[in-house]
Amino acid sequence: MRLSDIPFLSAAELGRRIRRREVSPVEATQAYLDRIDSHDTQLRSYITVSAEKALLRAREMQLEILRGDDRGPLHGVPVAIKDQCHVSGWPTTCGSTILRGHVADYDSTVAVNLREAGTVLLGKLNMTEFASGETFDFPYGTPRNPWDLTRSPGSSSGGSGAATAAFLCAASLGEDTGGSIRNPAAYSGVVGLRPTWGRVSRHGVIGGCWSMDTIGPLTRVVEDCALMFQAIAGHDPSDLYTHEEQVPDYSRCLDGDISGLKIGLVKELMDPEMVDLEVRETVRDAVTALQELGASIEEVSIPMLQHAAAIAQAISGAESAFMRRELIRTRLTEMDYLATIRTLTGSLIPAQVYHKALRLREVVRGQMLEAMERFDILVCPSAPTEAPEIPASPNIVKSKDEVLDNIWGRSRVNAPASLTGQPALSVPCGFTSNHLPVGLQIAGRPLDEMTVLNVGHAYEQATPWHRERPPFGNKED
Amino acid sequence: MADLTRAEIEALAHAVGLEIEEPYLTAVSYQLNAIIEAIDQIPDSGLDNVEPLPIMLPPQDRRR
Repeated sequence: MRLSDIPFLSAAELGRRIRRREVSPVEATQAYLDRIDSHDTQLRSYITVSAEKALLRAREMQLEILRGDDRGPLHGVPVAIKDQCHVSGWPTTCGSTILRGHVADYDSTVAVNLREAGTVLLGKLNMTEFASGETFDFPYGTPRNPWDLTRSPGSSSGGSGAATAAFLCAASLGEDTGGSIRNPAAYSGVVGLRPTWGRVSRHGVIGGCWSMDTIGPLTRVVEDCALMFQAIAGHDPSDLYTHEEQVPDYSRCLDGDISGLKIGLVKELMDPEMVDLEVRETVRDAVTALQELGASIEEVSIPMLQHAAAIAQAISGAESAFMRRELIRTRLTEMDYLATIRTLTGSLIPAQVYHKALRLREVVRGQMLEAMERFDILVCPSAPTEAPEIPASPNIVKSKDEVLDNIWGRSRVNAPASLTGQPALSVPCGFTSNHLPVGLQIAGRPLDEMTVLNVGHAYEQATPWHRERPPFGNKED
Repeated sequence: MADLTRAEIEALAHAVGLEIEEPYLTAVSYQLNAIIEAIDQIPDSGLDNVEPLPIMLPPQDRRR
């Protein structure tokens, strides 16, 4: 196999070839470094790349494999991590100039877990500033969408989506507070899992919103997603909110059999005023495909979801502003305009509003759990539109009504799983007429990632979308 | 509920140790008033019996 062909393998297939000694971790790492070198000046998906560290680690993994050690299916596989997670000895910027030059002196638990799984870290991935919803002026370069370089790869884990889609890593990690894995997964045409809140440790991750932040994988196929999730899931004494339940073998659940499953198509998240026609039609086609695979489909109404985005914004705004209170007081002028507006607004949310939102979140959860007693899975779009154009100037709001339209409209699809803490997966399910990817969101019961991943896998195996390559850098030369 | 005025927002900011000036003040006033209005419009009947928790508990653990 030519070196330049290696990045186009799935992480699972690359891992199998490494374990069979058909490809070495050093070859795989060099192949990805070559692609990053030739493509990322345009894509801007990475903030930090260390060829030296990556190759050193790859040589260590190669020696382990040659002497017969086996760390599992990701042994020697090159991956990348959103620059929100600390990795000892590596810079962590969280997408901000404020942290430029900061080098982590300890590891996030997810970094430790990936290292124990034998992965090779290529670098740290680009993101919106402090994982806020929007950034206009990206200090480390504006990340671009490999399906169309004039478009956004989504936020806040835009670098994770772009790098994974453009074959600049075998798999990546992102962080999802209000949709920051699912949205980039949809826009960049990759698989993205927001796990159950508390299934993956947040220790060593620069927080955005403590009650909604979740670390999860972005990959090109569901099998890879299961492997990455397997590596990072589990209880961590350093994060008191991690679940103690045993972690199942997620790869073994991927049998593709979804016959008899009850799937609900969420009415409030298919609202024509919120979701573009092409996205709705594509998601409806995906639902038909699930039905043909043996699942029963029914529309379900969960009335509180019309308020989900408002509730999520009140909670995440207040929590993230508190987490940055010192920066707001001392270094506000160094932040991006859009991140500044969001942070200042969050700082002023009255306690009564925040507390009402916390209680409303419980009402949303109650309605969702009630629905999950009738359905195994709920589905909806992962994003209401195709990837938007990268703006030429900051999107400055012109009225309160404009903000309200957004709260009640397009920002609604990802808020429900963020509020409830249940797992939600985005899988590619087709394209718009501009040949931009559309994502199908598959949500399950808390801690039931097995069913979520299996539905995604079954759908993926029955459809061609995951085999399509973005036009940017899609040749093995 | 009437919108917070710019002076009220400046006072609120002052109370938490912040000074907000243009070009931020107008945008913050739109954002903040929108969030307050959106939450205010959601009926709060029955919320006194709801306990806010960070974790989504399984159904059996929710019944106290």
